[in-house]
Amino acid sequence: MPELTRRTFFKGAAALGAAALLGGCAPQKMKESEGTNAAAPAADDAVVEVKHAWCKMCGPARTHCSTLCTVKDGRWVHVEGNPEAGNNFGRGSRTLCAKGNAAMHTVYSPTRLLYPMKRTGEKGEGKFEQITWDQALDEIAAKLKEQKEQYGPESYAVLSPQFYAVLGSLGRRFLNVHGSPNYLHSAICNSQRMFSRLVTIGGPEHAKATDTAPGQLDKTKLLVVWGYNSENSAVNQGNPYARMNAKEGGMQIVDIRPMQEGLGAHADHWLPVRPGTDTALALAFLNVIIGEDLYDHDFVENWTTGFDELAEHVKQFPPAWAAEITGLPEEQITEVARLMGTVKPMGINIGNGIGDQANDGHWTVACACIIEAITGNLGIAGGGGAGMVMPEPLIKTKGIDLLSDRLPESEEDKANGWMAGASKLVAPETPRWFQNMMTQESGPTSAYNKGLQSILTEDPYPLRFVFGQSSNPMSATRQPKTIAEALKKLDYYVVMDTAWNSSCDYADIVLPATTQYESADQFATKNSPAGTFIGINQVISEPPGETRSDWQYYLDLAVKMGYGADFWDGDIDKMLSEQLDGSGVTLEELREKGYVFKERTDGAKPTEPAYQDYEKMFANLPGGKVQCVNEWIGGKPNAMDNGTIPSLPEYTGAPESIVGTPDIAAEYPLVISDVHAYRLCNHSYYHDVPYLRELQPEPWVKINPATAKQYGIDDGDWMTVESPHGSIKMVARYFEAIAPDVLMTKRGWWEPCEELGLPGYGALDGGSEVNVLYDDNMENFDGFTSAMAKQTLVKISKSEG
Amino acid sequence: MAEQYGFYVDTSRCIKCWACQIACKQWHGIEAGTVSRRNVRETVDGTFPNVKRMFESLSCMHCDRPACFAQCAQGAISKREEDGVVVVDDEKCIGCKTCSTACPFDVPQFREAEGGGLKMDKCDTCLSIGRTEEGEPHCVASCPMQALHFGPLSEMETQAAEKGGARMEGETNPSVYVS
Repeated sequence: MPELTRRTFFKGAAALGAAALLGGCAPQKMKESEGTNAAAPAADDAVVEVKHAWCKMCGPARTHCSTLCTVKDGRWVHVEGNPEAGNNFGRGSRTLCAKGNAAMHTVYSPTRLLYPMKRTGEKGEGKFEQITWDQALDEIAAKLKEQKEQYGPESYAVLSPQFYAVLGSLGRRFLNVHGSPNYLHSAICNSQRMFSRLVTIGGPEHAKATDTAPGQLDKTKLLVVWGYNSENSAVNQGNPYARMNAKEGGMQIVDIRPMQEGLGAHADHWLPVRPGTDTALALAFLNVIIGEDLYDHDFVENWTTGFDELAEHVKQFPPAWAAEITGLPEEQITEVARLMGTVKPMGINIGNGIGDQANDGHWTVACACIIEAITGNLGIAGGGGAGMVMPEPLIKTKGIDLLSDRLPESEEDKANGWMAGASKLVAPETPRWFQNMMTQESGPTSAYNKGLQSILTEDPYPLRFVFGQSSNPMSATRQPKTIAEALKKLDYYVVMDTAWNSSCDYADIVLPATTQYESADQFATKNSPAGTFIGINQVISEPPGETRSDWQYYLDLAVKMGYGADFWDGDIDKMLSEQLDGSGVTLEELREKGYVFKERTDGAKPTEPAYQDYEKMFANLPGGKVQCVNEWIGGKPNAMDNGTIPSLPEYTGAPESIVGTPDIAAEYPLVISDVHAYRLCNHSYYHDVPYLRELQPEPWVKINPATAKQYGIDDGDWMTVESPHGSIKMVARYFEAIAPDVLMTKRGWWEPCEELGLPGYGALDGGSEVNVLYDDNMENFDGFTSAMAKQTLVKISKSEG
Repeated sequence: MAEQYGFYVDTSRCIKCWACQIACKQWHGIEAGTVSRRNVRETVDGTFPNVKRMFESLSCMHCDRPACFAQCAQGAISKREEDGVVVVDDEKCIGCKTCSTACPFDVPQFREAEGGGLKMDKCDTCLSIGRTEEGEPHCVASCPMQALHFGPLSEMETQAAEKGGARMEGETNPSVYVS
């Protein structure tokens, strides 16, 4: 008998019963191969363990999908959804998405970064030497202390990638203790849409802003999916599955996206809107809904402010006006507006594509919110929000205290009545005056792109130290050429990642991170009608080289900084035990079992929410009413500190567009944009994963065959794509379900896939990073949320690759 | 033969997410860049803007009258008595590709065997990795949309019929329903 480890194991089929008795993991049904057509039958005496981990394929430190990981003779070989956790369609579901199924490779990738490295050559030159962790942390701490003394603590900033639990908790806590407000939030985020919802249709706080998306999809009659890409970004998180169920129950679907995607193919109405013109479409919808009297008079009278002014305003924007801008037929715009005005309950899924990736994104979202509100759909079963109220969780854990009260309050903060730190923000993401603990998630935020540009402009001051953790700024934001210049000029740049991302060459220190499959320092809970699930990441595979957990990094650095007392003296177990205190589950038990499910035995069931509770819903809005004219932000200073925000919705359009800039369009006749998320990668990461890369081997751009043929471009040909801002090379992929004047692509191709012999591609001109094509003039960013356009005009030609 | 087992592919729910395709590969330890036992096929009708995409996830059809089985001179292909699943015996397969020519659905693929030569490779409904009679193949278990189903063919017929589906047509009588 081989040595038994702490977790589940069995030897051949004999130990099946024993495995099933060990709490935590589901009974192990797999047995060893008997031989027909098995590609790699394991030896009979293989030691098989099944361990628990939260899937990281939607991003590091994510805890959406609980997975069971099969480890055979010490090597992680298989993964599946944990049926106990209630992923996707509930308990019993073993589903995973494509990338979830390929997770094993992230541990064994030959591109893994294994040792701390220190730059020895010029920035960008790529010359580094290996150093010890101790030296790396000593140097980082010394630099932070020196700069804090010389330039103030606000000279230190962190790059926030997508939602990232390490940064949102320990990263923020470290900023607060150190004294910097400069959490550089991406401004490409659900957060932008929540800001817009909060100031238009209210809610108790930012994170709970009133929703336009249905909380009870099974009762919805019309679902409008607008720039919402859930088959690519959240396929296993429930919604796509539930949407198809609702469709089978008779729900109609309107899908507004430039490409007919997997879910769009099942929509009743597909509106291939020209990228970057959604606000024009939204204004035309309002024009029809108000002009044809399709709104709820009772609601408008009692619960809106400025409706008459808005009604007058939108008269300027009939469907004929929007048709020219959006490329959609006038009749289709009118038809869909009428559906939204008459089919009830109606809900709107507002996606990344419109809210935070256009420079008038705030107004697109505001219009969608107003449509949802004035059609009487807010807070009704099947309409916006109004989700069933879940019974209390049976396991209650604590979050990590952010120590927000430690952030220094300046004289300027006091004088203006701003939240502590607002005056020191290097590049406020939303206006300084707007930021407080109700309107922000966890404290003040600067915008990622604008913060990095401060290094070049020195306005209001240059950042001196930037820490980039699990974020590649050369692909995460607009215009890598500017970012490269900023990183070259930056005093000190530290990266912590699992692979050598394209910004590492500019770093002073590069630190090797574990994946979450190599450290046991994060747990999460899921509450459902059936009960409450709690699971921790178990160590699926030993950390390679000198990789260290991102959580542990903060604790270790804090100790070096003299902040140890605020960081559990560097002891991660103390941190976790503190969060588990009072939950009824101990860290030891959780680490041993991997997960625990506590079944609900009291018979409690989800209950109906309070419907149409408008007094409460709109309590934080000026006058307690939906803002058809925005009195909260309208006429107030914008996020650039250089002008004011309008009160009524305005269509701005991308800096370059077919109708908006005809002179540019004469030379660059096609519109290009990119999918923010894609189902075979996580943002710009995982192109090294063979199972995923073989399905998208080259940097692709989708092009209508009719257009491609005009340029003599065949399916699979390399082509040059050039905008007024830069030039890249991509591979043409014929795609009928896209307008002839539109191209859609995907950013982030820096990782090579060694197993398949496929290269990574550069992030500057001549490479394949679409962000090179976009404008990054800060004057053009959304004045309320700092959202940036990801649409421009291009010309194309066949190239040799 | 006891009852034939087979698949039901619900195209009204498939969104071409590729989960089934990769689940198959990882559970069977298939190297990327080699064979792919299950594939999501796309058909496109019409031209922009009146265009409709349609997706179906397909693998071996485990046909009622498998042409591969009929043509294999080595006796390497058999149709199981208990469930009608068509399986390949690696020991007997010589990689001659006769089955590939015979199969009307172009299912057989060939992987390099250890020590050289080719072996025919295709879906075995996860029998070789321990699927039990009640169990599901990993492609089905992994499908986030519940677009892919497996079981006794009569059950597949019932499920497909509810959505106006029917058995795939073909001389070999594939054990697959599609709606």
